[in-house]
Amino acid sequence: MNLAGFLLAEGSEDAACAWCQSYPCLASLSCWGIVAGALGLLLMLPGGWKRGRYLGVLLGCAGLGLLAADLPWFGDLAHQVFFWLLAGTALVAAVIAISVRSPIYTAIWFAISLLGVAGLFLYQEAPFLGVVTIAVYAGAIVVTFLFVLMLAQPAGHTVYDRVSWGWLPKPFAVIAAAALTGLMTFAVASLPSTAPIPTADPIAGDTATSGAPDHMANLGNTLFGTHLVSVEVAGTLLLVALVGAIAIVIHGKQPQLPNQGVEGARNDE
Amino acid sequence: MNEMALLQNYLIVGGLLFAIGLIGFLVRRNMIVMFLCAEMMLQGISLSLVAFGRFHGNLGGQMMVLFIITVAACEAAIALALILMLFQRSQTLDIAFWQNLREEGQPRFVDQQIPEEIEDEREWPQLTPAGVEPELDLEQQRHRTRV
Repeated sequence: MNLAGFLLAEGSEDAACAWCQSYPCLASLSCWGIVAGALGLLLMLPGGWKRGRYLGVLLGCAGLGLLAADLPWFGDLAHQVFFWLLAGTALVAAVIAISVRSPIYTAIWFAISLLGVAGLFLYQEAPFLGVVTIAVYAGAIVVTFLFVLMLAQPAGHTVYDRVSWGWLPKPFAVIAAAALTGLMTFAVASLPSTAPIPTADPIAGDTATSGAPDHMANLGNTLFGTHLVSVEVAGTLLLVALVGAIAIVIHGKQPQLPNQGVEGARNDE
Repeated sequence: MNEMALLQNYLIVGGLLFAIGLIGFLVRRNMIVMFLCAEMMLQGISLSLVAFGRFHGNLGGQMMVLFIITVAACEAAIALALILMLFQRSQTLDIAFWQNLREEGQPRFVDQQIPEEIEDEREWPQLTPAGVEPELDLEQQRHRTRV
């Protein structure tokens, strides 16, 4: 309760924190949600003890539920349920991806997490990004990862997938992440709860009717109008990355090459 | 719908995704898994950017996410090429193999205890048999071996 009280005291210094002041118990709820989630994640990560994983799953779900209950409501049950289905898919799949031992399953759960994120993009009136995320990330990048895993993973489960860096980094990483999330939750919660009406912007009116075919046209206009130079730079970057990746692989095929180079340089000296 | 609540929810979910990726990056030792965790952090940031863009009613956030996806694709190509090269040299994906690159004066990391593999995890995915097993025709088999 101390931590919650401290964070509350910090938050309520802000005069705009009407939400915290009217519902102080709810604010501590999300704090406890983060603590429970962090503990659950700590138990679920590789290198722990086996029974702990079930407890970790329970704690993690409880933490996510507490946090979800504490966040501001949309005022519309259907939207709320839909949002938390997508967000829950993304978050739960992400947690499974980092806690499962086999890297193949990590890649597959990461792809599922991407599906959730793509759904969130669609929900946020960014249909193009949602489709691109599925096509490029889940379709291309994850498949490339699976290829590399097949090329590089030794048979069976490996030792280094079961252990971490000793006992120290796991709690510290979890504490750091929990502190980050906790501070951000309270910073976000202390925002004024009524939105300032966005200034009338020619683009703003257009995005309001997105989902309509206008959206793609606006996106294209912005991309190839305002950000034309960035598009060119991104294209160059893709080309450079392609050439660089091929160069790296070609050099990697000859392990003796760098040593010879170093010796040759020494001989020259 | 309350736009502010939407923004807050998206920011929290994006932050959580970022934090999960951060934990995975710091805790896991498989190079490929670490890289996937970095991608997960990028996803969290993308969510926040799209939410901000929607809140302000312009397409700037979506533009940034588009470029994030582009850079992530480049990054994946180069990182996977590097990982393949490192694997060819060391025959392991363990990042601890390369700890000679650590800062001077730091002690070497040695695994204190390696937990036994749990029996449940030794299960491999199996394909369920489908259809009817064809009857073996000895004549045909002999013919095939001759071919």
